[in-house]
Amino acid sequence: MIEFLRTLVILLLFPTGLFLLFNAMIYQWIDRKLVARLQNRVGPKWYQPLADTIKLLANEEVFPEGTNHILFVWLPVVGLAGALTAALYVPILGLSPAYSFSGDLLVTVYLLSLLTLCLGLAGVNTRGQFSMLGATRTLTQLFAYEAPFLLALLGPAVVAGSLQINEIMAYSSQQWLIFTQPIGFVVLLVGLMGKLEIPPFDSPEAETEIVAGALTEYSGRGLALFRLGQWVELVVGLTLVAAFYLGGIHNPLDYVMKTVFSLLFIVTLQTTMTRLRIDQTVGLWWRYGTLLVLVQWLFIYLIEGVS
Amino acid sequence: MMSTINKSRRFTVPIGPQHPALKEPGHFEFVVDGEIVQSASVRLGYGHRGIEKAVESRSWIQNLYLLERICGICSHIHATAYCIGVEQLAGVTVPIRAQVIRTIVAELERIHSHLLWLGVAAHEAGFDTLFMYSWRDRETIMDILETLTGNRVNYSVNILGGVKYDLLPEHNEAIRMGLDFLEERTVHYVDVVTNDSLFLRRTQNIAVMSYEQALIAGVTGPTTRASGVKRDIRLDAPYLAYANYPIKLMIETHGDLEARFVVRLRELLESYQYIRTLLDVLPEGELKTRIPRRIKAGETISRVEAPRGELFYFIKSNGTDIPDRIHIRTPTLANIASVTHLVIGQHLADVPMVLIGIDPCFSCNDRMTVVDNEGSCDVWDGEKLRQYGIEYYQKRST
Repeated sequence: MIEFLRTLVILLLFPTGLFLLFNAMIYQWIDRKLVARLQNRVGPKWYQPLADTIKLLANEEVFPEGTNHILFVWLPVVGLAGALTAALYVPILGLSPAYSFSGDLLVTVYLLSLLTLCLGLAGVNTRGQFSMLGATRTLTQLFAYEAPFLLALLGPAVVAGSLQINEIMAYSSQQWLIFTQPIGFVVLLVGLMGKLEIPPFDSPEAETEIVAGALTEYSGRGLALFRLGQWVELVVGLTLVAAFYLGGIHNPLDYVMKTVFSLLFIVTLQTTMTRLRIDQTVGLWWRYGTLLVLVQWLFIYLIEGVS
Repeated sequence: MMSTINKSRRFTVPIGPQHPALKEPGHFEFVVDGEIVQSASVRLGYGHRGIEKAVESRSWIQNLYLLERICGICSHIHATAYCIGVEQLAGVTVPIRAQVIRTIVAELERIHSHLLWLGVAAHEAGFDTLFMYSWRDRETIMDILETLTGNRVNYSVNILGGVKYDLLPEHNEAIRMGLDFLEERTVHYVDVVTNDSLFLRRTQNIAVMSYEQALIAGVTGPTTRASGVKRDIRLDAPYLAYANYPIKLMIETHGDLEARFVVRLRELLESYQYIRTLLDVLPEGELKTRIPRRIKAGETISRVEAPRGELFYFIKSNGTDIPDRIHIRTPTLANIASVTHLVIGQHLADVPMVLIGIDPCFSCNDRMTVVDNEGSCDVWDGEKLRQYGIEYYQKRST
């Protein structure tokens, strides 16, 4: 019975469920507010993401002609569920993960990619030209950043000698990996931006070209869930960055400071750069991102071998 | 089999009439193969307001206000072109002070138009920070225009035979302060546009229009000057104060998107300098002269350099207080066709920027279009148009 209650709390209140959703909205607000201030705008009130979500959830959902209704309804749900489930294995607020087992890092990475896959499928499913192009670009981008993103996550895992997030964090608490693996830190954060289609990697949803990309035909509930999924993923991603590269997370204050620092990094890049074309994105990741991470891996192996 | 595969990979991307990249209704169809544009077509006419017809039932003075509302950005230059034409017909010479004030407002308008364009173009490239900054700076010019005339958009400076508002010494101070601020900002923007490596990747060598192509396409304004064509009505056929105080011609030779950015930004810098010169030499004198209500019969053309290029007015009077015919050719009409050639072979992602690169203004330019695939060359006279209109609305009402 106790076990059942614990599971219920974990799924509905903390760390996934309500807490994570509100956490994600607050981080989304911080992102939007900082971008606005850097662009010399006023920016939204703190409850704007919540208000957006409630408003979208109340909107009518329009089914475009020729779509598979089951997929149309369930893809956003699966995407959001994937992002929320990923949060079970990461140390949100610095508390130990709700569930932990050997190899949970790989499961987390897979769950984080689920949202992108759902996004791509949703775009293809709705059959509009803009959705189709958006989905193509989303999936192209997935193949661009996924390899370096994964390599950057595995860097700490290799030095820690484990694929369990808990153990990697225990290792990284002793030494800040941002100093020993700076390339991995940058690639991981920039990879996160690519994953979440944050500018300059927003060509899959570039509004001036393809309206809203894969989500063009989505309105109301589906759109709200996809957006929520992306916001949750931002929080999970930032937690991973802090846990692996910024000396681990020890208490809630530590958590907030380190994740907001990473968010600042993202915001700065977001405001100072021009949107990359999809071919430029792919070029960037394979020509520079992957190569740089591989160079770092080489160093890791050399140092491991020497010591 | 091969051809079916090729066929299936190609599809048409419609941009417009409603699309986030377009601020006004226009329709473009791009056939893309993957991400590369294979062909393009344009259809205009969604913002047609029938102004050319409407002026034929209003007096010369009423038309001034109607024509100023053709464009929401270059409103003053439309009124100026019209006034110059009507004054030519009436044989009236405008006082020199009024001419200089008209020129100053025209240059202020060019500044706000170019700054607006810079923002829109940056937004198309996905560089929203530059968009926000340039629009913030544009407010300076809007404030100046508001203190000068009381209005931000349709300043209504012109009246037939002169200007309505005087430029007072305190305006002089405000304009100079605003220009100093904008000059500093514009120098920074030139730096960003020519040195930001990511931005250059989106503009350099994109949609290159060579000197010959620019001549053949007959493009006007900054679009043609970015390709090295020396064409500027302010110098080729000087009007107002440009005759006495020539403005410097800004030329870029590369003809790519970057050149279109740079040429407009350099024109901004030149405009600041030019307005300062005019403020220095602003002559004393009358603001307006009397003009008859009935304009002598005859016809004339008047050409001015709008922010987007050559603006052309044909005015015909039959001796009454109502014009017989006014024909308007806006710069967008000259430039828009070049887009359909420029985008071929470009990435779809660059299409909005190429489109915005000519600084289109659809509503100013829109006219009735008859889509005729058979290629007949009927002449549509007034009676046929009227008949067409009656039938069209009868069909719609049933």
